Amino acid sequence: MAFTGDFLCTSFKTELLTATHDFTNGANSFKIALYDNSASFTAATTAYTATNEVSGTNYTATGQALTNVTPTSSGTTAFADFADITWSTATITARGAMIYNDTAAGDPAVCILDFTEDKTASAGDFTVVFPTADASNAIIRIA
Amino acid sequence: MIKQALVTGPLSPVMVQTTSGRGFTVDEIADRCMERLMLVSRDAPPVIRDQAVAFKDSMRQAVVYFMAEAVKSDRTSIYNILMNNGQPEAANLILKEL
Repeated sequence: MAFTGDFLCTSFKTELLTATHDFTNGANSFKIALYDNSASFTAATTAYTATNEVSGTNYTATGQALTNVTPTSSGTTAFADFADITWSTATITARGAMIYNDTAAGDPAVCILDFTEDKTASAGDFTVVFPTADASNAIIRIA
Repeated sequence: MIKQALVTGPLSPVMVQTTSGRGFTVDEIADRCMERLMLVSRDAPPVIRDQAVAFKDSMRQAVVYFMAEAVKSDRTSIYNILMNNGQPEAANLILKEL
């Protein structure tokens, strides 16, 4: 199997309506984990898994904690954002990532990110750059 | 009757940047920084858009300058950490590689 695109997990949408997630800075801790192309995530993915998670120099299993920016709105669209994240001095090859809530029980998944091709850092930096935090581009938007 | 549904928007793609055998340069990080600081709409009136682009360029120069200063200053800190721990060769290498 392989990555087949970006997905906002369906379970996450349900969990928004049951107050599972709090994106306020300093509230819930969200993490990003990297995966190889053997991972087969879809919108039906519900939680973090270590299966097919990458390994490499300066990559720790379960990934890194994200810095979440407190949600805001523009016009009629509300959105949440994360600061870009870097694995420094790392040797990693990853095809995609999962953002999940490390605070909530069961590590529920938020979204699946498809890098569209293998990305490799070799004794270098591996950075995930999040889209512009506005009503049209932010990583998580409710319109 | 509810006429408008509450929907989550489509997921915007992330971008991945990597390096091999080095870290990011000040210029590479400055480009990322500017995308965060300021977005100039392509639909803006030309006069306003040109002013905004000029301002963005000017801001970028300042960002590059101060980031380079921060890197140099951090090298000074690392130099002293290495010297204080009996690693003068590595300490001097840190300054040469700047």
